[in-house]
Amino acid sequence: MAGIALDGVTKRFGAVVAVRDVTLSVADREFVTLLGPSGCGKTTLLRLIAGFVRPDAGEIRVDGAALSTPERVVPPEQRGMGMVFQSYAVWPHKTVYENVAFGLEVRRVPRAEVRARVARVLELVNLGGLEARYPAQLSGGQQQRVALARSLVVEPSILLLDEPLSNLDAKLRERMRGELKELQRRTGITFVYVTHDQAEAMALSDRIAVMAEGRVLQYGGPREVYARPASRAVADFMGLVNIVPGRVVRAAGEASLVAVCGEHTVAVPLPPGAAEGQAVQVAVRPESLALTGEGIAGKVVEATYLGNLVDCHVTLQDGTRVRVQAGSGESLAVGQRVRVSVDGAACTVFLERSAS
Amino acid sequence: MSAVARPATASAVRAEHVVMACAAAALTVLVILPLVSLGWGSVSEDGALTLAHFREAFSKRLYLTALTNSLILGAWTAVLSVAVGLPLAWAVSRTNLPARRFVHLTAVVSYITPPYLTAIAFVNLFGPNAGLVNVFVRDVLGAPALTFNVFSMAGLVLVTVPHTFPFVYLLAASALESVDASMEESAQMLGAGRWRTARAVTAPLVAPAVLSGALIAFVNAIALFGSQAIVGLPGRVFTLPTRIYALFDHPPQYGLASAMSLIFVALTVAALAVQRRYLARRSYVTVGGKGSRPQRIDLGRARWALLGFCVLVFVVAVLAPYLTLLAVSLSKSWGLAFWQNLTLKNYRFVLLEYDVTRRAIANSLLLASAAATLAVVLGSLVAWLDLRTTLAGRKVMDYASLVPLGLPGIVVAVAMIQFWLRVPVPIYGTLLIILLAYTGRYVPLAVRSASAAFRQIDPALEETARITGAGWLRTFRAVSLPLARPGLFAGWLLVFVPAIQELSASILLFSSGSMTLAVAVYNLYETGYLEPVAALAIVTMVIIVAAVALASRLAGGRPGMDRPTVAA
Repeated sequence: MAGIALDGVTKRFGAVVAVRDVTLSVADREFVTLLGPSGCGKTTLLRLIAGFVRPDAGEIRVDGAALSTPERVVPPEQRGMGMVFQSYAVWPHKTVYENVAFGLEVRRVPRAEVRARVARVLELVNLGGLEARYPAQLSGGQQQRVALARSLVVEPSILLLDEPLSNLDAKLRERMRGELKELQRRTGITFVYVTHDQAEAMALSDRIAVMAEGRVLQYGGPREVYARPASRAVADFMGLVNIVPGRVVRAAGEASLVAVCGEHTVAVPLPPGAAEGQAVQVAVRPESLALTGEGIAGKVVEATYLGNLVDCHVTLQDGTRVRVQAGSGESLAVGQRVRVSVDGAACTVFLERSAS
Repeated sequence: MSAVARPATASAVRAEHVVMACAAAALTVLVILPLVSLGWGSVSEDGALTLAHFREAFSKRLYLTALTNSLILGAWTAVLSVAVGLPLAWAVSRTNLPARRFVHLTAVVSYITPPYLTAIAFVNLFGPNAGLVNVFVRDVLGAPALTFNVFSMAGLVLVTVPHTFPFVYLLAASALESVDASMEESAQMLGAGRWRTARAVTAPLVAPAVLSGALIAFVNAIALFGSQAIVGLPGRVFTLPTRIYALFDHPPQYGLASAMSLIFVALTVAALAVQRRYLARRSYVTVGGKGSRPQRIDLGRARWALLGFCVLVFVVAVLAPYLTLLAVSLSKSWGLAFWQNLTLKNYRFVLLEYDVTRRAIANSLLLASAAATLAVVLGSLVAWLDLRTTLAGRKVMDYASLVPLGLPGIVVAVAMIQFWLRVPVPIYGTLLIILLAYTGRYVPLAVRSASAAFRQIDPALEETARITGAGWLRTFRAVSLPLARPGLFAGWLLVFVPAIQELSASILLFSSGSMTLAVAVYNLYETGYLEPVAALAIVTMVIIVAAVALASRLAGGRPGMDRPTVAA
């Protein structure tokens, strides 16, 4: 069992608080992603788990054993975790075989077994036959697989990955994404993955920890984080979102009513604590708006044909500008009057605050 | 960075060609022709081709011993330079050693100190009869077996290593700092402890740089005439530079000297070629992308042992020589009780009374400044032609300007003598030939500095000026030169410092009317004036340190050179 528990972990670098009171837990065999923009603290958090950085406060436990505390940090070489770096860090002076075999040699595994295990893991990552090559003779994708193989061959219970796909081109990235997911499923290793790409996070993870400024804003599965963002910041980060001001008409939990753009009421789930008449912000994604015949009146200000859909900007009757995804068959002209219907069930309501 | 496409105006084309012609002419006179004369002199006797000189060089025991001794000296120096430079580099760049700045300073001061000063200082300390330490050990401690005779190969190595270990130190420190942290961290993640990681990952990655430093140490060590004359000759340890020097006693044997010089050059060039090929094959500079610096290792209690080692290096390389020279320069008569009779009369003597030293100081200041200026001008021309034009032959000129790197100082002198004696221009024995020797010797340093300075300037900055109508000269003056100035200034200093202390070439080119500082020191030493020699040595160091300090003050006082100046 290799579950990771982070408890109130904080890390400061001088005046900068890189990680701020983070508490979360990763279950055994889970694929968890730390997602956020540059500087949000996700890499620092990963390195805290790996043992390269000492926490200023809090505790990191693996299977109940405390590995990192402000007083004592178990060094990385004794944690039995694996790590794949963004730059791969494949050693240029060793062959593929020597790179992959290194961890086994450190553990004094007998030579014959080393050979067998290296061969097996190279097959696993589709690098069979390249043992004698040097990294300089490999492509980026192949080097990345060497880094992966090197970490996997020692059979760690936890694998940490720091943006391993960001140096690859788009097509290769997508293919490697699939292979990584497959790999995790097959080996059952707990993956902790760091990325700034929300599509990648959604495709790979069991749970996503959305981070900003050192804090975890939300921690949940892809559906939850996308469709039920905990805050406006999360909603903003996980794809396109429209924020429409509204007013509570009836506060009744799941069957509440909110008025937008004057008197148009929409049935949306309300967060607890919402009072009748309260001003709120309704977050609705472009794909949850439709340009059917009924709904809020508005005028098209921009319509961009993107091949598989038409990206529309519509100004509603109260001046709010929203983005709508329309089917590619529809012909929309600038200035055209339309009606925007809202899928209330897909909306998230935030109680009025300037930013959260 | 592609070359700028020039509008085909006649004046621009002509200007480039003029510049190229001037640079080519200068390089020819400074480097090519003297070398050709050297080559010709080595295979000719009275106008006829002969291999007699080479035969003599390779058959006479005298010369073979010199060659062997040079090789032994070079090898030992290289090994010890690594033994000293690598731990120091590792201590400074990778550990939490206290006083890291002090260690770095030790290497820098060792580097800029003239090697012959260290030699003189150590003779004052470890001379077999009058060396202070030996006298102390023999008479006060009563242990004559513990005395150390500096006039030996061991002594020669001892006084040379302080000046060559900085090469290994600088290259190793730079390589250690540029190893991407993730290379070592990935080894740690796989279970390797600190030492295993250092052995399996760090060491192989920095090995090319360390070996490169060792080879450069070798090349430099064998070329130092001063220390080999001061320490080697009395101990009858003959080496190539001192043998070649001896060939200029009356009657001068130009042919043999030329042949030996070529052998010397071959040795140097071979070492440099090995260094280049080895480095090129395995260049492991690894910082890339989001690469970060490795964390500093906490040495715990071991750091005091390491600090002790660093202090030992400081004492041997810096403290002992300088304190000794200072003490000797302030004493009436050097001996065990020297402090009882302190005086400033030695300084008065060399600075105010003795005509020879006064002129030598003035000459060296003049020569070093002039040589630095000429070298930087020539270096700028060569670099500019290489980087900003597409003229044919500019690469050849660039290579030609780097040739002097493979020439030991004394070989430069022999080549100069061979050339200017044949040419009906009477500059032999004047300051001018020394100036040409300095300039030719150090032009590679200036070319490299200028090249680095110009390379940093984005061509777009110059192109913008051209598009708004400025001609190439105006652009150069208004854009390129100001932006390159700090780098060119650094280049000037890089030539000035070795030029003012230059001995290996000056020793063959000086005359009573064109004495230089280093030669004055050497001559004074040869005549046995211990105390004034030390005073002159300290004066030399003061000049060097003042120049370096002044230069860094002037260069540092130009902030914002990298910030674009937007016209208001």
